[in-house]
Amino acid sequence: MNILVILRMIPDSAGELQLAEDGRSIDREWLDFQLNDFDDHALEEAILLKEAGGAKVTAVAVGEGANRVLQMAAARGADEVVALQSEEDAMISSREIAASIAAMARAKSADLVLCGVQSSEDVFGQLAPYVGALLDWPHVSGTNRIVANGAVLRVTQERGAGVAVTYELATPAVLGVQTASKAPRYVSGSKLREASKTPIGRAMPESSGFERSAEIITLRLPVQGGSGENLGGNAETVADRLVTILAAKGLARN
Amino acid sequence: MKFIACTEGHSSKIEAFSLEMIAAARSLAQAGDEVVAFFVGRDAEGASASFGAADRLIVARATRSDVIPAETYALLLRDVITAESPGLVLVPYSANGLDVAADIATRTGWPLVSYVNEIKRRGESLTVVAQMYGGKILAECEVPLPAVLMINPGAFAEAMPGPIAAVSVQTIDAEPALTGGKVKMVAIDVPDYADVDLTTAERIVCVGRGIGDEASIDLARNLATMLGAEIAGSRPVVDNGWLPKLRQVGKSGQKVKPKLYLALGVSGAPEHLEGMSQADLIIAVNTDPKAPIFNVAHYGATCDLFDLVANLSDRLRAGSGR
Repeated sequence: MNILVILRMIPDSAGELQLAEDGRSIDREWLDFQLNDFDDHALEEAILLKEAGGAKVTAVAVGEGANRVLQMAAARGADEVVALQSEEDAMISSREIAASIAAMARAKSADLVLCGVQSSEDVFGQLAPYVGALLDWPHVSGTNRIVANGAVLRVTQERGAGVAVTYELATPAVLGVQTASKAPRYVSGSKLREASKTPIGRAMPESSGFERSAEIITLRLPVQGGSGENLGGNAETVADRLVTILAAKGLARN
Repeated sequence: MKFIACTEGHSSKIEAFSLEMIAAARSLAQAGDEVVAFFVGRDAEGASASFGAADRLIVARATRSDVIPAETYALLLRDVITAESPGLVLVPYSANGLDVAADIATRTGWPLVSYVNEIKRRGESLTVVAQMYGGKILAECEVPLPAVLMINPGAFAEAMPGPIAAVSVQTIDAEPALTGGKVKMVAIDVPDYADVDLTTAERIVCVGRGIGDEASIDLARNLATMLGAEIAGSRPVVDNGWLPKLRQVGKSGQKVKPKLYLALGVSGAPEHLEGMSQADLIIAVNTDPKAPIFNVAHYGATCDLFDLVANLSDRLRAGSGR
């Protein structure tokens, strides 16, 4: 089985985001970029499938720091790594890159395309259904378990409230991973150093093919809705206040 | 202009966000416009009894399968779009909607905006406000019509549920599409709440990514025990395997409404807020003063969560005489 797994580099959303001068994008100059969490799980699922039944895993990374994450992917078990070129200092729109991914899936004779179910920059739509529809392959998003039995996939999808639905589908297919069957593994420094010799292929982007798309006019920070009370940053004072608040509401343990 | 409001339901339950999709369409409709609700599933009666706020209802009726694969839903929706030529299709941000929205946008070539909170109509286009970066940024977008929008649950108040006149209901058979589909449902697993049911818990201590590592969860668990609370986690914590899935709060976990919700190191992504913003008392601790969790918290603190847990545990221990 040939697996193509997509790794998108996104701004660290735990960090502070500031608007750029044009008001239509975020200031990317001082941002840390990291692998989209869901894509990390997609990579893990790809490696788990390879370990379970044999597969060739091609990792495709896009965005700032793609080379670094591709070395990590190689250290974790990816057989081939490719950096998809993208416009510098622009957000990674899944709608924009879907055609490139679909083209690579064809070129690599992929049986399965895996990516994270979402990213923080996919405001114009999610990658798995875009790629699935472009290729006219079946797609399922929000998976937390993928088992391959030859060309038949058994895929479990989270539906909320703890309900999980299992589907069966045949490859070729596109899956949007929510959670890998096991938590993503760590790689040792020595493995990373070894993997740093892995040659990184390059791919040029294709046109998205969409004639009409929505467009961002302005970005803004949400108004801090804080009607709540700020207890401050001193742990001792905060603890004192919380004990009083909980007691007043009858919520201290009884 | 026609609006198609996509609705869902399974296991004899119509999803509440279905009525929000109808309300969103209704809020945009002008004289001469039509709001068409679209439903796929076994509970055609439930849909007919609930979607009276729409002008018309198209039901793709399934007889066997309770859960409809998104692929089949999208296939049936495509036929309806071809027949109706709507100006706008509203899809809920749900497990199903995530797969349906971009699929439909690809096959029609129409624009799509996801995670939409607000919609304004401006002639032949729309201005919408959508969430990005875990709710830390709002994007105002211009959307030429026709288009597809994926709407956040809770962004629009539910339309009044009520029956729709039988003459306004058109029923089609979903079975051929289900039978011919490439994705087959083979099992539904409903969780066993014997061990823990967060939805009925009165007090919850929820840990987020800020807890740092698995070992530190014990500190929060001890605090929870002292408070008589259940321990819970946000998605990253559960995805890392630090807490079991049944203890996850949020969109892909449980929706909870406890008397006390103490959030430790939870940033408050929209998907998390969807699961807990209705709690009676929300106390949030996060070193990032811009964390969206503070938008719903009644009390917020920006101290180090470990310092707070230590101090609070000391005081509770002293108070209980232990």
